[in-house]
Amino acid sequence: MPLVTQVRSLSRFLFLGRAPDGAAPVVQRDARIDVIRGLALLVIFINHMPGNVVAGYMPHNFGFSDGADAFVLLAGISATLAYGGLIERRGLIVGAARLAARIWTLYIAHIAMFIIVCGVVAAAVTRTQNPLYVEAINIQPVFSDTFEALVDALTLRYQPSYLDILPLYIVLLALFPAIYFAVRISPAGALLVSLSIWQAAIWSGVNLPNVHAAGWFFNPFAWQVIFTLGIIIGRAAQRGVVAPRLPWLDVAAIGFLVFAFVAKTASGNPVGIALLNDWFDSVQLGSDKTNLAWSRLLHVVALSWLAMRWLPSGAELLHHSIGRMLAIVGRHSLAVFSTGTVLAIAGQIVLAETGFALGPQLLVCLIGVMLLIGLGIFLTWYQSITLSGGTVSAEPSRRGSVQSH
Amino acid sequence: MALAAAADLRCRSGSAQSPFQPALPAATAALRETGKLTIVAIGSSTTAGSGASAEDKSYPAVLLEELRRRLPNAEVRVVNKGVGGQSAYDMLLRMDTDVIEEKPSIVIWQTVVNEAISHIGEDKLAKILRKGIQKVQAAGIDMVMMDLQWLPRAGRYPQYDAYRALLKKTADEHGAAVFPRYGMMRDWSRSKRFTPEELVGMDGMHMVDAGYRCLAIRIADGIAGALTGNKPDMAEGMKSTN
Repeated sequence: MPLVTQVRSLSRFLFLGRAPDGAAPVVQRDARIDVIRGLALLVIFINHMPGNVVAGYMPHNFGFSDGADAFVLLAGISATLAYGGLIERRGLIVGAARLAARIWTLYIAHIAMFIIVCGVVAAAVTRTQNPLYVEAINIQPVFSDTFEALVDALTLRYQPSYLDILPLYIVLLALFPAIYFAVRISPAGALLVSLSIWQAAIWSGVNLPNVHAAGWFFNPFAWQVIFTLGIIIGRAAQRGVVAPRLPWLDVAAIGFLVFAFVAKTASGNPVGIALLNDWFDSVQLGSDKTNLAWSRLLHVVALSWLAMRWLPSGAELLHHSIGRMLAIVGRHSLAVFSTGTVLAIAGQIVLAETGFALGPQLLVCLIGVMLLIGLGIFLTWYQSITLSGGTVSAEPSRRGSVQSH
Repeated sequence: MALAAAADLRCRSGSAQSPFQPALPAATAALRETGKLTIVAIGSSTTAGSGASAEDKSYPAVLLEELRRRLPNAEVRVVNKGVGGQSAYDMLLRMDTDVIEEKPSIVIWQTVVNEAISHIGEDKLAKILRKGIQKVQAAGIDMVMMDLQWLPRAGRYPQYDAYRALLKKTADEHGAAVFPRYGMMRDWSRSKRFTPEELVGMDGMHMVDAGYRCLAIRIADGIAGALTGNKPDMAEGMKSTN
């Protein structure tokens, strides 16, 4: 397709939501989604054991965004491919019903995780006599007022540390139909509304309540921007819009990633403009994860542009065993994420009990990653024996399946 | 009353080894001019009072009571801005809205424990603490930094002592007072007048009211002493009451 046509169809899509002329609707599952999500899940697992040496090499040290941003973006993309596709084929009622079922599953997973984590921490504290485990997970309310904490947990008004992504995901999926229909009309318009809601929320300090903290760790009013972006990308894929060959945009994206790398790894202000001192400090000391930040958003946009332009979307990614393994992990994201969260908290305890010695640190990371990959392999096998007739293709990633994400 | 006073006495065991005698010029001047003493306690779980049996058993709540008793003519206010699990950086972000806008004359900043757990890096932490202390001091407020809690086996966190030293060093560089919580808790535990559960709630179920109460009493002793120039009542009188 000539470049001019590519650019024209992209802008027709962005402003009017139109599909390019003659493009067939895309139903096949994009291998990149599974591979990147698998990677993000493993990164989140490692990062949920702060202070471990491997976490020092995770992406958030070298750029503004991290596993969480990728996870939410991919949630938007795959929700569009699954539920957006379903809404197109079977209508809003069927789509909404499937969404509701999915939200219920997420909720049950979240509550189960909450209870398991409480049990793990309670067992650890009574056996090791280290009160800081309670502190690290902010789980004291459970022990001081169990009844109130339970009710608050069930209503998502109390989220201990590390148990904050699924509540965000639940809210975002509930918003999916509204955002999806807005994107159908005009992706650019939907993005504009989304950005305005985000900025208005920052300006007025709006967040959902978290009774034992300042608010939700992932403010849904902010993070809906990344989700909306994911829906737009998913919708573009659905309508067969391709990323045009625009080398200047590639260069700009790479330039931004390099800038982010320098800003994160430099000590102090590398450009020497005094006006930017505070900004560099804020980026290096801890970026604003709760309310998102322009730097995070631009970083995600740059990364996804490059992934769309340069990562092969099909089987090429799965030729390598690493790609296949990550795809298997990414396809079972809920199970892997939930298990990873519990494993990471157990891992935190093991790390402290072994005094953060290097050997146990590496071992905990390695065993955890292997368990998560093993879980993915097991679930893939389990699906293959339980799905109707056991006929699963050699590359299940190519199925446009609803339940396999 | 006599019984309560006797229970409070044990809080002062070891006050010679871990003294808290802050210089509080801003608070002294404010008290003299307006008759008011406003303190903002910013911090994580210790400040929020997690593990206390009731809200009025948190250290800022007891501190208010104790200061009112010691300074009957002053209009005392202690504002609790503790949020469990927060990092020093989280608190730095709310230093303007949560702390300075309350127009206190003293800020007590309890932090660094989450940094020691997650080992965020000493340079990074030093920068965050510097910014926080400078912000508060630039507003003409006396800054008191609270040392970390004592732990039965701090070796779990190899950086624990390094982070404590960093807190002390950064506070010293800026002339901010340090409340020697670690040393005090260690002395309490050695004094055998407390059960371990009373101090750190080691099993996660016991309330740590006694520990919070003692913190508040020692802070109140130090602040009242600085403001009035008096020594705390019966400070060393307990040696014979064993």
